[in-house]
Amino acid sequence: MEYFADSFAAAFALIVKFDPEIIRIVVTSVYISLSASVIAALLAIPAGVTMALNRFNGKTTIQHLLNTLMAMPTVVIGLLLYGLFSRAGPLGEWGLLYTPTAIIIAQAILIFPIMMNLTVTAVNAADPRLIPTLKSLGARPLPMMLQVIRTTRFAILAGVITGFGRAIGEVGAAMMLGGNIEGFTRTMTTAIALETSKGEFELGLALGMVLLLIAFMLNFLLSILNKAKS
Amino acid sequence: MTPAYQLNDIKVAFEGRDVLNIPSLSLCLHQSTALLGENGAGKSTLMNLLAFVQQPCQGQIALLKQTVAARLSSEQRRRIGYVTQQPYMLQGSVRDNLNLALRLQQIPRPQHHALIEKTLSLLNLLPQADQDAATLSGGELKRAAIARAIVYEPDILLLDEPFSHLDQRHIRQLETSISQFAAQDGKTVIFSTHDRLQAMAIADNSINLVNGRVTSAPLLNLYHGQTQQQLFNTGKLLIHIGEADDGARHIAIDPRQIIVSEQPLQHTSVLNSFAGRLTQIAEEAGHIRLLIDCGEPFYAVITPTSLQNLALQLGDTVWVNFKASAVSVF
Repeated sequence: MEYFADSFAAAFALIVKFDPEIIRIVVTSVYISLSASVIAALLAIPAGVTMALNRFNGKTTIQHLLNTLMAMPTVVIGLLLYGLFSRAGPLGEWGLLYTPTAIIIAQAILIFPIMMNLTVTAVNAADPRLIPTLKSLGARPLPMMLQVIRTTRFAILAGVITGFGRAIGEVGAAMMLGGNIEGFTRTMTTAIALETSKGEFELGLALGMVLLLIAFMLNFLLSILNKAKS
Repeated sequence: MTPAYQLNDIKVAFEGRDVLNIPSLSLCLHQSTALLGENGAGKSTLMNLLAFVQQPCQGQIALLKQTVAARLSSEQRRRIGYVTQQPYMLQGSVRDNLNLALRLQQIPRPQHHALIEKTLSLLNLLPQADQDAATLSGGELKRAAIARAIVYEPDILLLDEPFSHLDQRHIRQLETSISQFAAQDGKTVIFSTHDRLQAMAIADNSINLVNGRVTSAPLLNLYHGQTQQQLFNTGKLLIHIGEADDGARHIAIDPRQIIVSEQPLQHTSVLNSFAGRLTQIAEEAGHIRLLIDCGEPFYAVITPTSLQNLALQLGDTVWVNFKASAVSVF
């Protein structure tokens, strides 16, 4: 029990002192997950709105596929991309393995279905009069998409934040593709997993607290958005 | 004369039920037309088709003699202004909504200011111009939606139940706005309503819709039931009709063809005579409208002189008489 309490105190001290290693790890983590979220959002939002606005063959199949991909284990994405990026893999010569770029790609793929699915849901939940009104006012496809995004922006943003939360908390892909290289690809989750196994319990605990704090802030942001939506 | 719209062989079905079935219909250009019908008659569906926000399951619609493909061209779209029954205002002020309509319709930017000010003043909306559209009252919202639909100066204005849920004052204001728009050169107004008198007051033409079908029959004295050879069974009355196919499900009787008497008429050509209780006497445009309950309600229109001659009182028992040929079957 004493060990646990001491570790807590030490971890807290690390955070309060702005320990450079902790800062570096947190910044790397946020940079990687934020980049992945921006890339995924830029692709998923237009894709989601397009899917919600149009009727086409195979729409239900895509919906099922998205639902399945939302629950995809992160290590599976790590595994597939490892195969692509490793020296012997088809994209091996790009030299992406064990770089932040590899983790960004993996996280973007991981959260794309979440963001796209939540965008589809956001547009479907919009007032049913929105689309006919825009149509009757002569909106062509691109202005129509922009207006729909504008009207449903809070719900869509909530989807983006949910995606970011999933990215920053995942460990499988970051571990397999990043390799936990200090100051380069060491993220909060990989550090917690590996440093703890090396006996650096305080560091792991400190990072865990930061991660929880980020999760709390994201949830707080989501609840503000939910209020704004209604 | 060029029709504003020409509909051919239109069918719309929903969950296996025919919502609209119009073999042919032409709507006049440069005139105002009222679309009459009860709730669920298919008025809104027809409006959606005319506004091209909904596609028919079958059939073609020509807009100003041009058959419309899957999508309207920008130029065709600009010719139509559409206000739905419960208009949806986009985020922002009334002015923002008008501005957006102009942008979406690709109207050159230098014209925006003048068009917006002109439209706001036409619809008495200048005081509400910068008000958040979400905070408008029912009447203001209707007028704001109409403003948004006419700000880009369309040739055709479609209004779905524009007078519903409005009080008398707002109805008057709206009637004036619609009449002002229709009075401009070459404008076509098509609006739906279930109020027959209002339609007659402000429209040049009217079209009657019953269960998704267009009929020339007046919509007063409308009954639903089954045809049995030369009889029509409404469930409460058996009414003699002329020749009709067995599939017909509705009949209507022109109120002017009904003869009201104190005794049943002894004329051989008058096959239908029903006794009933007089429940309403009202004056309407110089005529007297009577409502007689014979199991089914019958409206009859008589002259003020006949009313005096018959010396009718509410609650009197009177006879409703009409020929089989006065019954429209459809």
